[in-house]
Amino acid sequence: MAYRDPRDFLPSTRREFIRLSTRGIGLLAFSRFAPSFLVNSTLAATPAPEKDRSILVLVQLAGGNDGLNTIVPFEDANYYRLRPTLGIAKETVLRTGDSLGLHPACEPLHQLFGNGKLAIVQNVGYPNPNRSHFRSTEIWETASRSNEFVSTGWVGRFLDNACSGLPADAPDPVGVHLTDNLPQSFVGVHEHPTFGLVGGSRTHREREENHRLLSALAHTADDAANENATFLKHTLMDTLVTEQKVQSVLGGYRPEANYPANNFGNSLRNIAALIAAGFSTRVYFASLSGFDTHGNQLNQHARLLATLSDGLAAFQRDLEAHKLDGQVVTMTFSEFGRRPNENESRGTDHGTAAPLFIMGSRIKSGMHGTPPSLDLAKNQDLSFTADFRRVYATVLEKWLMCPSQEILAGKFQTLGIL
Amino acid sequence: MNPSLEPRDAWERLPDRQWNAEAARHLLRRAGWTATSADVERATSEGLERTLELLFPAAAPRLPEPPLITELTEDTPAFVQKLSAASGGEKRALLREARERAQIALQDLSVKWLEFAARSENAASAKWVFFLGDVYVIASEKVKNPALIWRHFEILREHAFGPAPALTKAVSRSPAMIRYLDLNESKRGAPNENFARELFELFVLGEGNYTEQDIKEAARAFTGYRTMFGEFRFAARQHDLGTKTIFGHIGNFTGDDVIALAYQQKAVRTFLPHELVKFYLSDTPLPPGFTEPLGDWWAGGGYDLRALALKFFGSRLFFAPEYSGRFIKSPVQFYLGLVQDLDLDVVPIPRRVLVPLRQMGQMLYNPPNVRGWVGGRSWINSATLTARRQMVESLFEPIREEYLNADEQRSLEAARDRGAGKFTVADEGLAEFANNDAADAAGRLMRKFLGSSDAPEYRADLGEFLRPAQSEPVPARLRMLRRAAIALLQSPEYQLC
Repeated sequence: MAYRDPRDFLPSTRREFIRLSTRGIGLLAFSRFAPSFLVNSTLAATPAPEKDRSILVLVQLAGGNDGLNTIVPFEDANYYRLRPTLGIAKETVLRTGDSLGLHPACEPLHQLFGNGKLAIVQNVGYPNPNRSHFRSTEIWETASRSNEFVSTGWVGRFLDNACSGLPADAPDPVGVHLTDNLPQSFVGVHEHPTFGLVGGSRTHREREENHRLLSALAHTADDAANENATFLKHTLMDTLVTEQKVQSVLGGYRPEANYPANNFGNSLRNIAALIAAGFSTRVYFASLSGFDTHGNQLNQHARLLATLSDGLAAFQRDLEAHKLDGQVVTMTFSEFGRRPNENESRGTDHGTAAPLFIMGSRIKSGMHGTPPSLDLAKNQDLSFTADFRRVYATVLEKWLMCPSQEILAGKFQTLGIL
Repeated sequence: MNPSLEPRDAWERLPDRQWNAEAARHLLRRAGWTATSADVERATSEGLERTLELLFPAAAPRLPEPPLITELTEDTPAFVQKLSAASGGEKRALLREARERAQIALQDLSVKWLEFAARSENAASAKWVFFLGDVYVIASEKVKNPALIWRHFEILREHAFGPAPALTKAVSRSPAMIRYLDLNESKRGAPNENFARELFELFVLGEGNYTEQDIKEAARAFTGYRTMFGEFRFAARQHDLGTKTIFGHIGNFTGDDVIALAYQQKAVRTFLPHELVKFYLSDTPLPPGFTEPLGDWWAGGGYDLRALALKFFGSRLFFAPEYSGRFIKSPVQFYLGLVQDLDLDVVPIPRRVLVPLRQMGQMLYNPPNVRGWVGGRSWINSATLTARRQMVESLFEPIREEYLNADEQRSLEAARDRGAGKFTVADEGLAEFANNDAADAAGRLMRKFLGSSDAPEYRADLGEFLRPAQSEPVPARLRMLRRAAIALLQSPEYQLC
């Protein structure tokens, strides 16, 4: 074949890059369409330690999780006043203390709590809450104030900032999302090698000819003003490099736990497979949706919490069996909690603060923070007691080992969860 | 990037002397799915005005109601009766059966719409209705009943080229919308805010142009909206007749009054034009000052949707060079564009069409949430790009019919009886490119699928790929042409329009 194979002249290691640079082939000559891992790695100052790096798994509960029915204040008469039909009966609550407990569908999470592997941060929110799904999700993902619009995500800024450089020949994405679209959390000022993995089995036999011609086509010089074309080329190059590796890892993985047979369970299984394969990915993002329970929420919410709980517990068991649990912290978040008083449709409308879960073998388990006051009139919302950026600050400083002030545009006090 | 025009010139008509094949190609690709050479030729000779009139007719063409939808609607009253008489076990069986039936009817509707929209003469108006459906969002996941989904899109089509306030009012009565945004749960003394919020935030005004109090009060005005066997029904006893204060106005407002009040707000003028830009023109919103003149002009004409379409798609801004070849095709546009460019028929098999679309990130009638699809770069990640590549491969591979289910085989037969039997490209279909000159073949492939062969490096890569086979026998040459065409259609250039 006479046509160029990009692998013939794209450097694959730092040494090769330097060799090419000294021959006058500068980075700029191909940085617009070189696989981004390569661009980033050649810019990186110091390589990150390969082993024992910390991994964060984010689990989005999309739609707005009903916090009051997740962590139930079963001794509070106001709770049952606000929830005449939706209130979880005291005797069915899975107790975590004298006055609080988990929804009965959370048996596996309750066990993790008992074993010291689950922390619960109560009543997390932010000032001047927004009740739009999109805006509030955006606020959570960008870690912005509710009156400020920021286009980058907090994970993206962590990656921008990353204290850690990548090893020059690491071909792995730094962020992997198991959602159809790239989460805004991952968007940085700089582009980062991220990889999207849609659920389900996607066996794929790419023909060699196709792979090679497409690599060449993706590598042609383009119009600098056409940013979408550059973006497409960039993504395609990354994809071609990563996909064969990922597919073989997922296909060959033998989990040591029974994951629930649903998309969420499958997403967590795939995350475990990539972690077990030693991917240098720092952040994974999975999503479970359906929490927007405006009507008849009792069964639906119980099902969702069971899916969440079963999936997380299987994931933790699997990591433990692979002795990888010390490397991973999993954290949930949702754009808002729901209105304390139930509505006339046996559901709940958009609210404000809610608890979130932190799971892992190296966390400080238990109930953190203070529960919300429920001495509320009709349609009055919860007042948060823990700013969500304090949770992020904690994860950044104490788990990802990165100063948080610049990433979060402010100094937030850390919590005792890690 | 900032437009090359000043705001005051942006919405002027494109001068006649600038109407040429390149402009026609841009219009056809953006208003519809792609631009075949036959359509470009016709549009170029007919002129901009005539072309716009044809693309956006006074009445949008109608997809005939699929029989499965009709039957579902007809059978509903009897089903409800049967269900209420059934015992626990029978009830579960009936409900399971109903779910399966609904799923089949929805898939059938999806495939029929794709077949309808793939016809060149329907493309632009079908896409316009699809655009309206991306503003007035409903999702099958929650609505469930495909007869209601069908009805919702009928409402959008009926009002697609009329006054926007009438469309908004009709949508508030759409049974699918009433179910999707919980209006059926909303009653006097216990209003559900979901619809009122999305009406202001996502349908007509945009975030920041109303207060929480406006929403609470507007929700009261929409109490009592119900559905009965797929039709709108107003339950007067559930309606809150009391005084409401909305946007500073005080009165016993009804839902229609609220919509009329919303259309008096300044923000309504630029909201839909802004959505139009996002859906059809550019991921980057226009700088401040650009949509305002269009919005003011639109308001002056009573918010007529057809007038807006003709103005927008005929404007100098729309044809400005900075918008050419820069927009990422949605999965639906990518697929229907392929069908038209390859002169194919839609494969009437859900798992050959709807599943790939979902993997590309777009499940028909089921956007991810009430905001609709985000569009732009959010369509593209490694997983969706891989799904696009698989879609292209599948269009060049003969369907192995012996492996199909019986109902799928019947669907193929039925399509063939209608004269729609070309589902994949056979190698012989590429014979027009199979000459002895690899460079020339590369150029012609590019002109057919990309509209131009101007990119020398790209052309050289394709040519060099084809060169080793140029002295081979015809079947070997055709095989290489197929591989080249596939890579071209998978390449970044074909994802843009």
